[in-house]
Amino acid sequence: MSPLHFSFYSAFTFSSLGLAFHRTHLISALLCLESMMLSMFIPLSMWSIENQTPSFTLVPILMLAFSACEAATGLAMLVASTRTYGSDHLHNLNLLQC
Amino acid sequence: MTYFVIFLGICFMLGVLAVASNPSPYYGVVGLVVASVVGCGWLVNLGVSFISLALFMVYLGGMLVVFVYSVSLAADPYPEAWGDWRVVGYGLGFIFVIYVGVVLGELVEYWKVGVLTVDSAGVSFVRLDFSGVAMFYSCGVGLLLVAGWGLLLVLFVVLELVRGLSRGAIRAV
Repeated sequence: MSPLHFSFYSAFTFSSLGLAFHRTHLISALLCLESMMLSMFIPLSMWSIENQTPSFTLVPILMLAFSACEAATGLAMLVASTRTYGSDHLHNLNLLQC
Repeated sequence: MTYFVIFLGICFMLGVLAVASNPSPYYGVVGLVVASVVGCGWLVNLGVSFISLALFMVYLGGMLVVFVYSVSLAADPYPEAWGDWRVVGYGLGFIFVIYVGVVLGELVEYWKVGVLTVDSAGVSFVRLDFSGVAMFYSCGVGLLLVAGWGLLLVLFVVLELVRGLSRGAIRAV
């Protein structure tokens, strides 16, 4: 595996592991989600560079647009959680807990 | 030059590690800003300066700025930076996971040191990324309309999520 491929592969693994573990704040999980998006943007751009195909340059731009949508929705949920419970602590989201 | 790009790749990994090891959100955003700046430099070194500029403007200048002032909603009385033993433990644990995966998966057998850039195949008269993104308006116009519709939709989604009291689904007050 070439060093550059290894670096974004491991960056994606770090962020997905960081998303999977329990955190205190909801926004820490949202930040890990954003770093997953960033670490996917870089290899999508590298795909079009390494295969010398200009038309694939559309895909990272499109991914950026949808990642902005997802970040906005996540932040709206953060604001809703803070206005309901006073903080964005994850242990407040326990309505489904038995 | 090749080694500089590989150094930027390692810095990218470290920036993302700084987000994933569980510091307070104030310090996590710093890691994300560093990772995105280094990612932009990486893309510029590979030749696609337009994609790098789009990442800088939209991601760093748009989305991360919004994240930075949303972090103010997550206030800690005693914020944990990267010197805290818990955060160091998370970081070392993640490095250990990657190390085990690399060793067991035998990923570094052939450590080919080389970087393919945009100009590796010769001189280009029209830059690869400019001509590629310009296809958004010619062949990919359907995708452009779908993305624009999605962004407009998200505006109303956010409005409904934060509205409360009588119409909202999430807020109780």
